Amino acid sequence: MNAAFGTGGVVLGVAGSLGAIVTLALGLRGNRPALLRMSRTYALMVLAGAVVSFAAMERALITRDFSLEYVAKNGSSATPALYNFAALWSALEGSILLWGLILAGFTVAVVWKFRDRLTDPLVGWALLTMFVVCLFFFGLMLGPANPFRVLADVPADGPGPNPLLQNHPLMAFHPPMLYLGYVGFTVPFAFAIAALATGRLGEGWLVETRRWTLFAWTFLTVGIILGAWWSHEVLGWGGYWGWDPVENASLLPWLTGTAFIHSVMVQERRGMLRVWNLSLLCATFALTILGTFLTRSGVVDSVHAFSNSTIGPLLLGFFGLIVAVTVGLVGWRGDRLRSPARIDSPASREGAFLLNNVVFAAFAFVVLLGTVFPLISEALSNERVTVGVPYFERMTMPIGLMLLFLMAMAPVLPWRKASTETLRTRLLWPGWIGTGVLMFAVLIGARGFAPLLAFFLAGFAGGAALRQLALATRRQGWRGLVGRTNGGMIVHIGVLLIGVAFAASNSYQVERDARLCIEATSGCPSTITVDGHTITYVRATSEVTPARSQVGGQFQVDGGKVYEPVLQKFPNGTQQIGRPSVRNSPTDSVLLSLTDPPTSTGSVALKVIVQPMIVWLWIGGGVMVVGSIMAAFPGQRRRPIDPVSAPVPSRDRPADPPHHEEPVPVGAGR
Amino acid sequence: MTTVADDSTHHDGSAGAPVGRPRRARPTLVAAVVVGVVMALLVLVLATRERAGERTASADLIGEQAPSVGGDVVLGQPFDLGASDRWTVVNFFATWCVPCIEEHPELRAFAEEHAERGDARVVSVVYDDKSSDVRDFFEKNGGTWTVVGSDEGRTALDWGVAKVPESYLVSPTGIIVERFVGGVTRQALDQVISLYDQPVAITSTTEGG
Repeated sequence: MNAAFGTGGVVLGVAGSLGAIVTLALGLRGNRPALLRMSRTYALMVLAGAVVSFAAMERALITRDFSLEYVAKNGSSATPALYNFAALWSALEGSILLWGLILAGFTVAVVWKFRDRLTDPLVGWALLTMFVVCLFFFGLMLGPANPFRVLADVPADGPGPNPLLQNHPLMAFHPPMLYLGYVGFTVPFAFAIAALATGRLGEGWLVETRRWTLFAWTFLTVGIILGAWWSHEVLGWGGYWGWDPVENASLLPWLTGTAFIHSVMVQERRGMLRVWNLSLLCATFALTILGTFLTRSGVVDSVHAFSNSTIGPLLLGFFGLIVAVTVGLVGWRGDRLRSPARIDSPASREGAFLLNNVVFAAFAFVVLLGTVFPLISEALSNERVTVGVPYFERMTMPIGLMLLFLMAMAPVLPWRKASTETLRTRLLWPGWIGTGVLMFAVLIGARGFAPLLAFFLAGFAGGAALRQLALATRRQGWRGLVGRTNGGMIVHIGVLLIGVAFAASNSYQVERDARLCIEATSGCPSTITVDGHTITYVRATSEVTPARSQVGGQFQVDGGKVYEPVLQKFPNGTQQIGRPSVRNSPTDSVLLSLTDPPTSTGSVALKVIVQPMIVWLWIGGGVMVVGSIMAAFPGQRRRPIDPVSAPVPSRDRPADPPHHEEPVPVGAGR
Repeated sequence: MTTVADDSTHHDGSAGAPVGRPRRARPTLVAAVVVGVVMALLVLVLATRERAGERTASADLIGEQAPSVGGDVVLGQPFDLGASDRWTVVNFFATWCVPCIEEHPELRAFAEEHAERGDARVVSVVYDDKSSDVRDFFEKNGGTWTVVGSDEGRTALDWGVAKVPESYLVSPTGIIVERFVGGVTRQALDQVISLYDQPVAITSTTEGG
């Protein structure tokens, strides 16, 4: 029954998307508002289909309906409730199902938000684009990624989700957050396509999509940070970011999305960079699909070997389609839509934003090249050369420092042109704060050129952000903390915390492997000291439950609380999975992980990693989220200038509706 | 590869063009075409790749010719796996791996004993580790045999190494005769060698293995 309902839901989704595409295409072609208005019904139909499928799959997982292949492969009677619920997104087919649900939700949200303007061709085109994307993902579920495949021989029990995905609660939240981000970028992409298709590249549509972009970007940020947190807590190598293809796949759209969030302000204020902004949105969406392809098709070697499926070619084809449509539209329309305005001076806010965009584009290019380089080198020389972590570290370090520098400069730069005098007065305090941070870092023993430069620049940039916030709150009270610029400054502070924590934890990590004994003997102490922390082996532990068996050791850190890293074994895996234990404090984190199970003679092999400032990575992430929420609140209203956005005379499509001529009252007065 | 990189750099430059430069004839179109071509090439490259699962080396190389060991020499003398009159222990290790640290004295004893007799040697291959750490490790724990770099992980992939430490015993003719997963002991190595080195000629190892 679950299979029937689930498949029914998917079919409903496909049918709704198809119906909407046909109706919208006809409506846009013949300018028939009645047809365009029908998108509301279709959107609800697609959402209903997605909800039914999702509910059917959850029901199958919860009732342990092993007649479904997906449940038989990813569920088990012993899996605890949370992980059982999250098993829906622990493998490919279920992930696509979650993707479809979120996408349908976004489609309905767009229809609801623009309910009064469904007959506007711009909205029509945007919805048409969204339904095409819906059709693709629901189509995947009918074809190669069908989550509701039924087994002829129903097994009595299943293996449960991948062991790595069921030993930390963070894993239950990381994928949905990431998907809210990925899928959320569909909305601005759809509006970008709509703007290109209708030729209405005015600033109105941008104001509408900016908040959607910010929404998606925030969730993507949360998803990435939760992922990093999870790897730090679970993987036990002391890292949180390893430049793995899967991680890069999530970073790429984040980089282009971040670039857009900055450059869109130039367009709103000065009416410039229109085509560039459109291209960034399209690139962001295309990169989410490319990332999904890279991680789901198995063409690149990744530690996250989650899947081995046949949807690779389809995703690649879809990526190709997106690129072809975007490049075609931009090439066709772009030159006629470009803004005549030019940047007056490089030492201005818009100049800084432009440089920011160049740096972010370079960042994305470096990461993309590093990710696909093994494939390119194999294609050209038949040898698969992995560039590895050193490449990424070498290439991204100067970029990161450059971004820190820009974060210090841009907030104090005025629009249009800055005089030396303004700069001097405005940079004075940030400069002193940066110097103070630098001196403090040197005082407490930090050494090395790159990390110290990073600390100085971070202090500098933090000073610039605080200056803006202080001025704004003095002028407007609490309202000085909301709005785009002020919220953005809070986000900057979050980024700076992460930057400092990143530099510190990478540069001053202390790692030690040791064999400890409960009874100290020669060559096998019971207490070791690593970077000022004493670690004492207290006793060995073991625990067996139906869901897993584990052995571990209890260790007392600094004579205080006891921490228990364990090695876990799940019924479906032969491999032992380490589950480290981390003691966090504001200054540093002590990560304990077992590298070998406790022996009968009372010894155990332990890896200890002490890294400074790790918690600030997660705190910085939280600050970024708070800042994004603040930025989404309407701050002080300033009507965006509405530069001339002449409609494109439609030579080749005479059926173009005449009301293109009307100015679009978007974004204003709401 | 270089052409791709060049084109894309060009794209980065020209994509910013809508802003500052005087209007020229359709620069956006040019940029779009360049991006389109680069992306088409990328899609082509991606579409013609094999999937990771199909590429993995066969896990069981016993009885087969040993793959080459291609990394840069980190420590010791360069060596050649093919031409030799000695047995070779190819040991994959990392300084961060505790069992590797534990097996090190065994490898040292084995290497020292056989260096005197000249009938066997040890070659270590670094697995996901830094050269500087490896040098420190050998300085601290001893051992004078050749250590080669990981060759971007290719050597480990060719040999089918799943997890360090792993050691392979290669006969003088270049055939892998035994695989040791986890720590290896001197005794175990000597035992296997003695099986082959007794009366029969070495050429029969393929049948024997």
